[in-house]
Amino acid sequence: MVMGRALYSVGFWIRETGQALDRLGCRLQGKNHFREQLSRHRTLMNVFDKSPSVDKQAFVAPSASLIGNVHVGPASSIWYGCVLRGDANSISVGAGTNIQDNTLVHVAKSNLSGKVLPTLIGDNVTIGHSAVLHGCTVEDEAYIGASATVLDGAHVEKQAMVESGALVRQNTRIPSGEVWGGNPARFLRKVTEEEKAFFSSSAVDYSNLAQVHAVENTKNLDETDFKKLLYKKNSRDAEYDSVLSDLSLSENVPKSA
Amino acid sequence: MATSIARFSRRGVASTLIRRWFAAEAALAMQTEPPKPKLTVSPSPSLDRVKWDYRGQRQIIPLGQWLPKVAVDAYVAPNAVLAGQVTVWDGSSVWNGAVLRGDLNKITLGFCSNVQERCVVHAAWSSPTGLPAETLIDRYVTVGAYSLLRSCTIEPECIIGQHSILMEGSLVETRSILEAGSVVPPGRRIPSGELWGGNPARFIRTLTNEETLEIPKLAVAINHLSGDYFSEFLPYSTVYLEVEKFKKSLGIAV
Repeated sequence: MVMGRALYSVGFWIRETGQALDRLGCRLQGKNHFREQLSRHRTLMNVFDKSPSVDKQAFVAPSASLIGNVHVGPASSIWYGCVLRGDANSISVGAGTNIQDNTLVHVAKSNLSGKVLPTLIGDNVTIGHSAVLHGCTVEDEAYIGASATVLDGAHVEKQAMVESGALVRQNTRIPSGEVWGGNPARFLRKVTEEEKAFFSSSAVDYSNLAQVHAVENTKNLDETDFKKLLYKKNSRDAEYDSVLSDLSLSENVPKSA
Repeated sequence: MATSIARFSRRGVASTLIRRWFAAEAALAMQTEPPKPKLTVSPSPSLDRVKWDYRGQRQIIPLGQWLPKVAVDAYVAPNAVLAGQVTVWDGSSVWNGAVLRGDLNKITLGFCSNVQERCVVHAAWSSPTGLPAETLIDRYVTVGAYSLLRSCTIEPECIIGQHSILMEGSLVETRSILEAGSVVPPGRRIPSGELWGGNPARFIRTLTNEETLEIPKLAVAINHLSGDYFSEFLPYSTVYLEVEKFKKSLGIAV
């Protein structure tokens, strides 16, 4: 008992010494020293009275930014590094949609044609990595390929597909069930039946995957430390294995030109 | 950054013996009180979604039994996100805003390679080629900024231009260069020693021997640069002091 107290005090002395040394080091570094601040990144940020409303069952990665008038439906997922900036107008994301890593969804306040359009993204849409969506409408079960750019006023109809790397120019209408690609985007071919099935299954798969990420990202310190302990003992995580087996992952990659 | 580096000075990179975790995680080892309500997500009925978490985004996110592994002298920017099965080998660097998401399959970043700013590296579950769909970035590869790499294999000593897109199953053979903005469709192969570019990627010309020798030099130059960044960060963050001050100001017991 006395030993315990003694060790505790010694521990404190060592910590205090450490902190004092840290301050000394800062002073030696002079004006170039850097003091770390708390992360001020705001995942959900409101601009005056416009604030995001995200469904409880959606996954929003902590490094994503949802700013202003953004509405996200249930079972949707917004992945790492996305920016959904609804400051000038509104963004609404439907249910079961996934907006993959590093995409930018923005709304136009004014554009050349003078029309101001909110961005509407429907249900079960898959928006690939690093896409840029600006003031456009995407209907249900569409597929926006990775790194695609969809500009103001574009309208992607149900089950249409925008190829990877495509640039869909302003006010382009992509009819239902067609694949458009290239820069500027033009009609390539029709969506095959298996690709249509792929769109819906990929949306579901992503929702499931999002749950795993959601659980992991919301762990507090004790849980993450416990997990590290598990790694040291090389144990398997039944939770993740079960999610993986649930995913009916037979990714049919759409062939492209 | 990619092409205007002329610094080849030899730097003794002091390799730390301590693994660096994301700042707040290690710092919070001091905290005894569980932090304020965080982002809560489905399916349990939960409070209003929290808008701000002072911990920010964790850099390394373990999923299931996989923990991203970062070599001791690799520089991973604090706002990069490594999730799932990601291995970052020695001398490599992952720059700001990159997302390496190895949740469905493995991602490997080889010796002295670098993944520059805002890249997304993902691995699909299966590849159209039928080969293992892991993303393998071999040694001395420079992946330019804002690229997207999906289940591709990049052999040693390549340069992938900025904003390029490599789709599932693509193979970039050794000593080739992809121009900026190139899109490699799924399952394509970029032969060795050639310069390809465009959307979809087409052959432009073969590389001269001098150019081929420059490729690993670029990777090494970026390695030296990442050494500078690496040494900017302490092994453990001092954010915990700010956290304690913050909690004190809010009246939460520390």
